[in-house]
Amino acid sequence: MTSILPSTLVGGMFGTMLLTVVLRCASELGFTRMDLAFLLGTTVTANRRRAKAVGYIFHFILGMGFAFAYAACFVVFGRSTWWLGAALGGVHGVFVSAVLVNVLLPAVHPRMGTPETAANEIALIEPPGFLMLNYGRSTFLLNLAAHIAYGAIVGAIVRI
Amino acid sequence: MRVNGYAPIEDYALIGDGRTAALVARDGAIDWLCLPNLDSPSTCAAILDADRGGSFELCPDAPFTSVRQYRRNTNVLETIFTTDGGSVRVTDALTIPNGELAPMRELARSVEGLSGRVPMRWRLTPRFHYGLGRVRQEWRCGVPVATCDSEAVAASSWNAGAPAWSGESVGARFDVDAGRHALIALSAAYAEPLVLPGSRDVRQRLEDTAAFWDRWTSERRYDGPWSDAVLRSALVLKLLIYAASGASVAAPTTSLPEAIGGPRNWDYRFCWIRDSNFLIDALLQLGCYDEARSLFWWFMQATALTLPQLHVLYKLDGGIGVTERPLSLAGYRASQPVRIGNGAFEQAQHDVYGCLLETAWLFSEGHQPLDSDTGAALARIADYVCRIWRLPDSGIWEVRNGPFHFTHSKVMCWVALDRAVRLARRGEVPDRHLDRWTSEAAAIREYVDRECWSPELGSYTRVAGSGDVDASLLMLPIVDYDDAAGHRIGGTIDAVGRSLRRGDFVYRYRADDGVPGGEGCFLNCSFWLVSALARAGRLDDATELMERLVARANDVGLFAEEVDPASGAFLGNFPQALVHLALIDAAFACHAARTQVSRQ
Repeated sequence: MTSILPSTLVGGMFGTMLLTVVLRCASELGFTRMDLAFLLGTTVTANRRRAKAVGYIFHFILGMGFAFAYAACFVVFGRSTWWLGAALGGVHGVFVSAVLVNVLLPAVHPRMGTPETAANEIALIEPPGFLMLNYGRSTFLLNLAAHIAYGAIVGAIVRI
Repeated sequence: MRVNGYAPIEDYALIGDGRTAALVARDGAIDWLCLPNLDSPSTCAAILDADRGGSFELCPDAPFTSVRQYRRNTNVLETIFTTDGGSVRVTDALTIPNGELAPMRELARSVEGLSGRVPMRWRLTPRFHYGLGRVRQEWRCGVPVATCDSEAVAASSWNAGAPAWSGESVGARFDVDAGRHALIALSAAYAEPLVLPGSRDVRQRLEDTAAFWDRWTSERRYDGPWSDAVLRSALVLKLLIYAASGASVAAPTTSLPEAIGGPRNWDYRFCWIRDSNFLIDALLQLGCYDEARSLFWWFMQATALTLPQLHVLYKLDGGIGVTERPLSLAGYRASQPVRIGNGAFEQAQHDVYGCLLETAWLFSEGHQPLDSDTGAALARIADYVCRIWRLPDSGIWEVRNGPFHFTHSKVMCWVALDRAVRLARRGEVPDRHLDRWTSEAAAIREYVDRECWSPELGSYTRVAGSGDVDASLLMLPIVDYDDAAGHRIGGTIDAVGRSLRRGDFVYRYRADDGVPGGEGCFLNCSFWLVSALARAGRLDDATELMERLVARANDVGLFAEEVDPASGAFLGNFPQALVHLALIDAAFACHAARTQVSRQ
């Protein structure tokens, strides 16, 4: 149990790095227009450059936080393996696409439109839509794959 | 006005934001727009394929006439459409971000009723990836959106009708009464979610953009003749500079033909080292120190990977892979092929070494001394020039049947070594090889004076030992190769005039260059003639020619690469940086000559 804290920190760090790289590459290669750093950062600032920097920090913090949630699951299940982590990542990926970004983020994001919003005087960020498909037809699958990879990394590194 | 859907090239005006640019036709159609950057694939390319290219139309829905101008000292375009029922003013600009959350790129089109009631219509047909992308038509928050892979555009509109998708186009009809306003904003995103702007923000950005351009222009300094043309040229050059890197495209378009229906159609959305010395000179003379510094450092960074060898052209991000390939577009008035990329990047063109060293010299003279790393890089280039100047090359005009021993290339090699010597004597370039550079420069001069001079013509020649001339020889006095007032330069100016001049225009050369098809007169050559005449002391001739040339600009002061000397129609990519650079140089040359005469 003494190694769970540092291993979770390391697992969360590498998992988040991989997830970020996968999604960034997918975006640059034309598979999706999802930009998590932009989406997260614009919750606190309208400045594009600052938003992306803040967004990456938010994303990193969230990645570390979820690693601890994964570690808690590993403790409950009594084991920590890459495939268990990947399975958790799959659930996590579906949750992010179907609920977290699709429903919760528009509800709290001060600059994001919802399906009910009409064009008005305030700049709106394009809402993600169901499974974030507004950002590209491959977005859900890419996001799922990236989260499975994240979970596998966390599961492989965390020691309970 | 249009022939088979194609407007004359001179009917276009350019708007931009330092990242991308759009061509707006006199009838209100935006027929060229690349997103998100100047060198990205097109979203609107009706200028290259009226049926499949894509466009953004906005005009009266009734017969109309139009006049237009840039809002004074800005790159904000105002077109006044007049119909039987009234008139409206359409203001077009690619807006510049102002701190509020703005779309990645935003094209604002504001409509203001001036008199009566005018029925209007707008129609956006986005065709991503040069018309080859698969476009999805969707809606977000009541706004029509088109997406394709990483790209998306949204057409937000206020008081401009109820937009509806019809096939691959979205648009609406609406009426504008005097004193009423409508607004349409095209917002674009690449690899990120769209930002759908509010009308107040778009209007504010439109005004802020006009204020930015006005402020930028007011900081330029030029009190000589043709100041309107010089400042307009400066504004054009600013639009052609890609703000993210400081590099400048030769023109924002590809494949506008050098002859209607001909095959000489090239992609100019790259940065040519050849333009560097003119560009740095113009920027420094106009007081654009930030742009000059950015451009110079971009040149030194872009060339760092290939030193001491230089490529002819570079991508705006400094890359060198610009493989040429044809697109399946119809071409401007059936001028095939439409090309992207540029095969000239593989050529050996020795004049670029002189251009870069001249650029460094001008930068050092006009702004700030070079640092030691830059000095060391330039010394390596000078050493390399000593090794290659005896070899033939493809020359300034990028002929495809070479290589030849072009006189202009030899002279520019001399310029490279001459400037290296000057910089070494000032301690800005290592002087270990100073003696070698000096002796090789003398050898080049001896070669040019012996092999590239024709006593029969009384002129320098196009190629060593040939009996013809080339408009590039007009650059010799511009780069201080010879005594500008001497008989050799004077004879060369006369010979170029006899052989290549047609009215006010000058052909590049009259020789086979390995590319089929004809071409017009290159307008930069006409302005080089003005510069050469002014430097040779023929101020009256230079002034008269300059007056007539400036009057040949289109209605908003822009020039294409070439002109058909018979009809005066523009040809080639538009607007072209080198032509506007040559105009600025010619104006400064005339101003300097006039000042010198008045002092005497």
